[in-house]
Amino acid sequence: MVKKPKVGFYSFSGCEGDLLTIIHCEDELLDIFGAVDVRSFRMASSERHDDESLDVAFVEGSITTKQQSEKIKKIRERSSVIVAIGSCACYGGPQSARLGYDDWEERFKKVYAGARLTIVKPQESQPLDEYIKVDYYIPGCPMDKHQFFYALTRLAKGMPVELSRFPVCAECKWNENECLLLKGQLCLGPVTAGGCNSRCPNYGLPCIGCWGPTDEANVASEINLLKERNFREQEIVNKLRLFGGSSMVKRFGELLGIKKTSHASSVKTISRSGKKPAASKSSTTGNK
Amino acid sequence: MKALKLKREDLYTYLESLKSYGELWGPVPKGDKYVYARLTNVRDVALEALRTIIPPKKFFVPPRFNMFRYFDDHYEEAFDDVKRRVLFGLHPCDIHGILILDELFLERFPDPYYKRRREATALLGLSCVPDDKCMARSTNTHAVEGGFDLAFNELGDNYLVWVGSSLGDDLVRLNIDLFSEEIEPSDLKTYLAWRRKRDSRYKLTFDLTGMPDIMELSWDAPLWQELAEKCLACGSCSMVCPTCNCFNVRDLSDLTLSSGVRQRHWDSCMNKEYALVAGGHNFREARAERLKLWYTHKLKAFITEYGKPSCVGCGRCIDTCPVDINVAEVIRGLTGQKVTL
Repeated sequence: MVKKPKVGFYSFSGCEGDLLTIIHCEDELLDIFGAVDVRSFRMASSERHDDESLDVAFVEGSITTKQQSEKIKKIRERSSVIVAIGSCACYGGPQSARLGYDDWEERFKKVYAGARLTIVKPQESQPLDEYIKVDYYIPGCPMDKHQFFYALTRLAKGMPVELSRFPVCAECKWNENECLLLKGQLCLGPVTAGGCNSRCPNYGLPCIGCWGPTDEANVASEINLLKERNFREQEIVNKLRLFGGSSMVKRFGELLGIKKTSHASSVKTISRSGKKPAASKSSTTGNK
Repeated sequence: MKALKLKREDLYTYLESLKSYGELWGPVPKGDKYVYARLTNVRDVALEALRTIIPPKKFFVPPRFNMFRYFDDHYEEAFDDVKRRVLFGLHPCDIHGILILDELFLERFPDPYYKRRREATALLGLSCVPDDKCMARSTNTHAVEGGFDLAFNELGDNYLVWVGSSLGDDLVRLNIDLFSEEIEPSDLKTYLAWRRKRDSRYKLTFDLTGMPDIMELSWDAPLWQELAEKCLACGSCSMVCPTCNCFNVRDLSDLTLSSGVRQRHWDSCMNKEYALVAGGHNFREARAERLKLWYTHKLKAFITEYGKPSCVGCGRCIDTCPVDINVAEVIRGLTGQKVTL
């Protein structure tokens, strides 16, 4: 009998919907806990072992405070494999929709005004890989339980994880849905990672890109297509950025008119001086 | 081939009798489109349907299905979803599509999963009049001379029913009283007039003579790069093509880790990792290369190997591709005609 891998589940900033997805697997929950040795899972058990080395850490949520960025580095140090689960951990989530615009302090002040935050030091929301090396990504908002099962069983057997690289359109065809793009809706199916079984189009709702872009996403062509169908450029960019986070900035920043930012300039803690950073609105596209 | 006559008004009664053979499936509306669905009520059948979103290949190679269930020390075949079925309403192009799949899956290396499903299915054709996306006349797949069990052709107030196999003959006998053998000379006249009408309706016509040579000469044509810039690489063209048949195989372990299923699902050569091999090399990394392969397969390689294109002119790629890359546009581009996309 092979020793059961030690696994930890961790959550940073987000709705905790990915861990909830696991907890909601009522029929499979006992098998999950049977397949691996769960050492930490705050939603499931108050018993935690947060100082041991782990074989696999499943981490959801984005990093939004200095304390979190230190904590994720510690998890990395004691874990052989890190799996980012959910779009927040993978790309930063909706809270990272304005990554790269360089106006974080301004936004922060707009919301919190002059409030002095003493418990945590907030910073721009970033995905895990802005701070640590991530071995596997299971995107989704939330992730799909079958992809999680697949990853868990592969890792429990010491095998690599190869997730679907189809865009949503493939499964949408398998499910024989009417094409919503052809019906004139703003659907991001062709550029969005599949594996969700085209959940939204199955209900007649266009894809909002919550799994982030596919490896092969032709975002330029998607934008042109939507513009031909009379969608405003800004609306298209906003839609792409809602869940696209860092993946949009890094891969399509130039195309979307987002200033490419380095780690140093995009990850900032709130400055005490309150100095207003230069706004970069001129770099956004489509202010027609 | 035996020819019979069935009164139009008796069609539903006959369809009802087919249910004693197996599940009856046919085209039904889905929004503005059509899909093959089980006909619990025979009157749900959409006789006007031209093309379904995905072709009838889904019955023989489902988009995803379990090949077998494995355990620590043995495996068990999974054929639970294989049911005896009657597919009604297959148009000639789709029957030709199935015949192409037959050549690939039943001849040299018979595929047990395809074979089992195919043998459990009766094919009932239905004639049609083309729309502006049909190009079956150019691919010579606008009519069928075989490959079906029964074929229903328009004949005024009747259907002219061709019996194409012994199974077809058995199916007629399920309600033989509805059929008449008395074909009048005037029926032939009506039939020929209808055929002329159908043939005159094709708006998309291409001369595909020498297509393999044209493809060969177009290996470095700028067309491929131009198309690649628009192509979304979504793979929809492969999913809706009646002759695209590539698949991937994955083992999905149960959480107990001691059992699982081997699953097969549709794949597409438009996917980047399709030609990715061990070591990380990709034979067709560029989208242009992948597009070229797709069309080479339809319009060159298959002709060289089987003497006919593996495009049956159904028009699904024309109907489906969001950025209008389709077989008609590619043929136009390759033969120096105006490309409209």
